[in-house]
Amino acid sequence: MNPRIAGVRLSMLVHLYRVRLRSHAVQELLAGSGIAVGVALVLGVLVANTSLTGSAGELIHDVVGSARLQLSARSSEGFDSSLLNTSRRLPGVRVGAAVLRENVAVVGPRGRAAVQLLGVTPAVTTLGGLGNRDFAGGGFAFAGGVVLPANVAEAIGARAGSRVSVLARGGARTIKVGAILSSSLFGALSSSPVVLTQLRVAQRLTGLPGKVSEILLEPLPGADERVEVELRRLAAGRLNVTPADDELRLLDQAAKPNDQSTSLFAAISVMVGFLLALNAMLLTVPERRRFVADLRMQGYDWRQIVVLLAFQALVLGIVASASGVGLGVLISHAFLHRIPAYLITAFPIGSQQILHVGTIALALGCGVLATMLASLSPVLDLRPSRASDAVFRDRSGGSEVLAPRTSTRLTLVSVGSLLALTVLVLLDPALTIVGGVALAATTLCAIPSLFAGVAAALRWLGERVRSSALIIVVSELRAVTTRTVALAGVAALAVYGSVAIGGARSDLTRGLDRNFAEYLSTAQVWVTTGGNDLTTNPFEPGGATGAIARAPGVRSVRVYQGGFLDVGPRRLWIIARSPLDGRLIPASQLLHGQLARATSRLRGRGWATVSEGFAHERHLRVGSSFTLPTPSGHARFDVAGITTNLGWSPGAVIMSAEDYSSYWMTAEPSALEVELEPGVSEQAGRRAVLAAIGDRSGLGVQSYRERRSQYASDSRQGLHALSEISELLLIAAALAVASALSAAIWQRRARLASLKIQGYDTGQLWRALLLESTIVLGVGCVVGAAFGVYGHALASRWLRLTTGFPAPFAVGAGEVLTTLCLLALIAIAVIAIPGLLAARAPARTSFQE
Amino acid sequence: MSTLELREITKHYTTGVETVRAVDGVSLTVTGGEFVALYGPSGSGKTTLLLLAAGLTSPDKGSILFDGRDVGMLNERDGAIYRRRDVGFVFQSFHLMPHTSALDNATIKLTGGGYNLREARSKALPWLQRVGLGERTEQTPEQLSMGERQRVAIARALVNEPSLLLADEPTGNLDSKRSREILALMRDICHERHIPGLLVTHDPDATRFVDRVYTLRDGHLADGIDPELAASPP
Repeated sequence: MNPRIAGVRLSMLVHLYRVRLRSHAVQELLAGSGIAVGVALVLGVLVANTSLTGSAGELIHDVVGSARLQLSARSSEGFDSSLLNTSRRLPGVRVGAAVLRENVAVVGPRGRAAVQLLGVTPAVTTLGGLGNRDFAGGGFAFAGGVVLPANVAEAIGARAGSRVSVLARGGARTIKVGAILSSSLFGALSSSPVVLTQLRVAQRLTGLPGKVSEILLEPLPGADERVEVELRRLAAGRLNVTPADDELRLLDQAAKPNDQSTSLFAAISVMVGFLLALNAMLLTVPERRRFVADLRMQGYDWRQIVVLLAFQALVLGIVASASGVGLGVLISHAFLHRIPAYLITAFPIGSQQILHVGTIALALGCGVLATMLASLSPVLDLRPSRASDAVFRDRSGGSEVLAPRTSTRLTLVSVGSLLALTVLVLLDPALTIVGGVALAATTLCAIPSLFAGVAAALRWLGERVRSSALIIVVSELRAVTTRTVALAGVAALAVYGSVAIGGARSDLTRGLDRNFAEYLSTAQVWVTTGGNDLTTNPFEPGGATGAIARAPGVRSVRVYQGGFLDVGPRRLWIIARSPLDGRLIPASQLLHGQLARATSRLRGRGWATVSEGFAHERHLRVGSSFTLPTPSGHARFDVAGITTNLGWSPGAVIMSAEDYSSYWMTAEPSALEVELEPGVSEQAGRRAVLAAIGDRSGLGVQSYRERRSQYASDSRQGLHALSEISELLLIAAALAVASALSAAIWQRRARLASLKIQGYDTGQLWRALLLESTIVLGVGCVVGAAFGVYGHALASRWLRLTTGFPAPFAVGAGEVLTTLCLLALIAIAVIAIPGLLAARAPARTSFQE
Repeated sequence: MSTLELREITKHYTTGVETVRAVDGVSLTVTGGEFVALYGPSGSGKTTLLLLAAGLTSPDKGSILFDGRDVGMLNERDGAIYRRRDVGFVFQSFHLMPHTSALDNATIKLTGGGYNLREARSKALPWLQRVGLGERTEQTPEQLSMGERQRVAIARALVNEPSLLLADEPTGNLDSKRSREILALMRDICHERHIPGLLVTHDPDATRFVDRVYTLRDGHLADGIDPELAASPP
């Protein structure tokens, strides 16, 4: 089969491309590499962006199977398992299975891991979730032990048959490892932080006999509504009735700021990737234009030439983009594969990478589209008004010059867009992410005019200063070409993204550090279940409270309570503090209300502070009332103050421990706050507390500084993916700009050699090339940094107003400079060698055109 | 009055297993005010001889003397100074800076030698006027005809008031009318300024504008035009 396309046989198209590959292999390889790097960057970020909720989604569906409704507890104490039989007997229920979930730690020979213990009944197999899995060779059997996912088993050094300790609710119990879930058979489960066991074993390990935390139900077809009504009646306002996969909806809400930040990076990466591919193709334009002229003179008509160019671009685009997809998968595995610790505390997020067909198609599409678009410019030579051999007389080097009029128009577009998006974002902060993408595009529009300005300034300088390098640079930059703009654009976008997101990240880190410093400052020593970031795991104190109170150097011990509460789409963080605490509300986090008055109200009953997002959703103001669905039914509170989200994106509620004990019907602490006598150091106090609690290995004791440092480290780890994407973007951009600049310099060897004949030496030429590269990069970096700082201000405002995170805006001049220097140094270091080689081109080169 | 003197020059290149005798025992003297052509086919060694005269490569044997100085022995820095101060070079493909005015193109040699643009322009302007481009100093190469571009290149070669003019196929990209104008201009300049000029060409017509002509074939030099070569198609 050898079809004709516009009169050209397919075999001919293939033949001509093979000829091109033979004669311009290096050029084609360079272009392909640029496209591949761009596509890899896009894919890596897209995969990182979708994997978080994607892996959790797979995991949740793995557990709930065909269940469509669930009855769930409002606290970690769960509810009586006898409700399972009652719910199974409800009309319209096909299958019901009970689950007990508890945040625990497993300890093996090599270390410990924070996991979610999931106790299930054999009935869960009939729901088809876990039931699809062939545990222990066909039966639902855990051999009386626990089943560890492969990643957890590896982390703690456990093997099937060995024994591990499970730390739950302040106690420690050892148990046999029944099996380890391999990735080949168990997919999301094997890379999850979920440890499976039988319900009764889980009840024993957690000290909650006869308790379950949820009942999963599969109604008969068409019976969902009826079952839901019956479940609500059964719940009697003390339990939640939700869709079985409600956890995913809650996670979506909790992960939204993270998702949106990486979405912004994904969009910037798409633009950078597109520009990289475009740049790479622009390198081949002069030669392609000559090729087009040759074909025209050989009698090819415009349709045939277009088909030929499109075919070559398509082949290059597909091959390079496919390589980029492979590279992108490697990048996402190697660099962008970290789960925010703060989310693991509340949700079972797996570490599985989710690679959707749509994501691959998008990355491939971007690469091919950029290749096709960039290869279009030689088509302009096909205009009837243009002579066939015009390109041979054109001494511009084949680069398209941007007319001053175009630069002016682009500047006007840039200013107009900047004003428009400022107004839009001021009116609706939720539009900031879209605004951030628009701002990135605006950054590109500002480059040509800045180039023109820099060229004019250099020219002015060149008229007054004796510098041979400067004069060469003035000549080279006199005209703004699309290639120069594209090169500077890549640098600008990378710097923009890094400065904007990096700045917002620093603001957030600073805000979180301050918040947690105040939050933890109520005690000098903290006793918790350990490893639990938000202090939400309750424990049975036994005699620990009294023993600690009697320890030497201890002034007082107070009970801290707290947990998560699902309210609508939010999994709220409940903080219940002793009225005796010196500071109930972190002062820096109070947005509305007076601190002293709000604190005094919280010390009484029926008052609570709420986060701004929650307050906004419920139209709450200071003094207005709201209800919370607590384990004892709906509880009414008055708003004592409105705070930031205290670092937990769904929001937080602070109330008194007395209210909590009453509505949650528990006296169990999730922490003990220890205040020391004056003059007793934190370390001495910590040692005294450790001695007092004896062998309670299920409890962790930390000084204020240790706990604060753990929070700081975890909040940074939560933002790690953003840092990695930002660094990757910078390095990829620096390398891509460097390779594109190097290739462009290499193409100018004949002209450089001619300058040698005019009396320039290698050193002068090398300095000129480095200066020129520095200026191209500098323009991009400066534009990127300026727009980046503006983007940073918008992003911080978005964090504060839309997500409720504490993020006080401050320009980190040091960070901006580091970003600029990092990109410029990498690029200049890479350019230095090919630049020197080009500058050393023998004079003979100028005779070989 | 300057003199270029090539004494028993030999230059061989090795490409793979083959040794090319680009220049083989060539001796030639060009005195001030003389415009001399080296005529020969492609690969005859013409360009190699030009590179040797410009101090861009060293001979295997023999010496190249310019005003008594052996330019074949210069290091890179001294070679660059020699070319900047003493040599004017005209290329077949002009090698002008794109998007740069004719005047600024003509200054490139001076700025390389330490002048700032303002000083260099004032020195280059008379030369552009001399080559007939006084009215087109602000035009860029893209706005100039091929002949005008070569005139800019000649002005650039002369702005440092060189003591030696070297030209490598300067009319290779021009039509016959423009070629005649350019060759006449270069000859006149050599005569006016009493400097030696060496033209490399494969065009027998070009030799009509020179004072003496030599044929270079297989690295060997012979007086006059080889009639066999002149009769063969280019």
